[in-house]
Amino acid sequence: MNSVSYQAVTKSDVASIGTNPIPAKPYYDEDYFRLEQEAIFKRAWLHVGRASEVAKPGQFIVREVEVANASVLIVRGEGGELRAFHNVCAHRGAELVEAKSGQASAFSCRYHRWTYGTDGAVRFIPDENAFFDLDKAKCSLAPIAIDTCAGFIFINLDRSPRMSLREFLGEDWFTRLESLHVGGGDMFSEYVFDVEANWKVAYDNFQEIYHGKFVHAHSIGKSITSNENPFGYPTKYEFSENGLHRSKTLWNNPGYEPTPVESHAYSINRAFAVKNPVAAAPTTDHYYLFPNVTFLAMRNRCFTQTIWPLGPHRTRSVIRQYWEGKDTNASLRFAREWQMASLLDVHSEDRDIIEASHKGLRSGAREFIHFQIHEVPLRHAFNAVDRWVREFQQEQAGAEAGR
Amino acid sequence: MANSALLPAGFEALTPYVEAWAIHGGDARKRRRIASTPEERADFYGAALPLMKDALAHLDGFDLQAMPDPERRLLDLMLTLAHISLAIEKQGDNEPIHAVNHALFTITRSTEDWDSPDL
Repeated sequence: MNSVSYQAVTKSDVASIGTNPIPAKPYYDEDYFRLEQEAIFKRAWLHVGRASEVAKPGQFIVREVEVANASVLIVRGEGGELRAFHNVCAHRGAELVEAKSGQASAFSCRYHRWTYGTDGAVRFIPDENAFFDLDKAKCSLAPIAIDTCAGFIFINLDRSPRMSLREFLGEDWFTRLESLHVGGGDMFSEYVFDVEANWKVAYDNFQEIYHGKFVHAHSIGKSITSNENPFGYPTKYEFSENGLHRSKTLWNNPGYEPTPVESHAYSINRAFAVKNPVAAAPTTDHYYLFPNVTFLAMRNRCFTQTIWPLGPHRTRSVIRQYWEGKDTNASLRFAREWQMASLLDVHSEDRDIIEASHKGLRSGAREFIHFQIHEVPLRHAFNAVDRWVREFQQEQAGAEAGR
Repeated sequence: MANSALLPAGFEALTPYVEAWAIHGGDARKRRRIASTPEERADFYGAALPLMKDALAHLDGFDLQAMPDPERRLLDLMLTLAHISLAIEKQGDNEPIHAVNHALFTITRSTEDWDSPDL
């Protein structure tokens, strides 16, 4: 176990990301949130699911993207093409598909039965002749840009995205994610929780380990800390060339002794994963993809956490653990159930401190917040958010001046 | 006696726990944990842990999609044990405080849901 001996990250390793205190206002200000909606969530590539959820022709999922007031229909076409549309009927704008997932050869609006193919084209309009010079070619579902990386689906709500997914992730990060060789990962466990906090306050909590020793003393505290690394700090931080994405390399206490049920669940999961890995090239790197995703690819599971703003002061977390294949037997089901429940415990330990943090910031009592070495992912995330917000403001100001 | 067939032979010691702890559905098991008392949890954990490995080894001989009712109940007991073990082995005396936050989480998919033909 010598290979895991702790190597500390130093100030000079991360000083290039910045050292100054960070303004507190963007973490609670409602005007800043409205800018983020336009500048970030309607322009960035957003992770919304896994390609295996829409594996077969006609298979579809619907995702609500509250921060952009959008409902997104993602469907696999007859020829295998992956497509996304606004889930909105072309007739009078009603929500088209009510189901959250399913299998369909056509989508029919329940209002007046306008019916669309999986390619988005309108196929049937009841009493079509009663309309005035209707141009059916203009009555297709409104398309949304969609692409995948490492089997994960991303959409872009911009009508003409400023960059491809590959450009957005960056060649370096795109290649890193693909090289994890995330296989089928075709099954997942999922849980959801909301917090009364700004999305950045919530996301920040999951980007640093500094709080682990205190907040997670009961769940994972002992497994992530040791005498040589008492705070359980990561051993490396990396940043994408385009300044948007970042990673941290987790460190675990090699001397940790698991508890009885934990130990049994671990051994079942490990034995299965040796033959059936989810990620054939697993790492202990937490990837943080701008603006709101955490991603970890291990041998026995892949973990994603997507942070969805519901408003300036409310945020939803959707947590998934992807497994390789269906449960083959009772032991595997038991081990996966334990794994899901144990991660949920860690997140539930975080819940109220995230709200407490947002409550304090929202009071306006503090002008600045302070980040140490091991909070560099938070600083890096804020830098990226603020850069996109400022660029958007400059663009708006330019458009205003040009009028 | 009707109760004699509730669980497979060899696991009769868990019969008194079937009604309260043989729960189907990940979120229902989670909610049962949050609703339980420390005494209930300690009692169930104390009875179930010594049989955990034997129970899973027995159940591994059955197809998950075609399990007889006694095996199904035993599996549900073990899956609830996975949740309860976290309260006992990890949270300990902190569980009542932890439960306040825990109650605000919803498990929207657990792996047994994939048995459904719709998925």
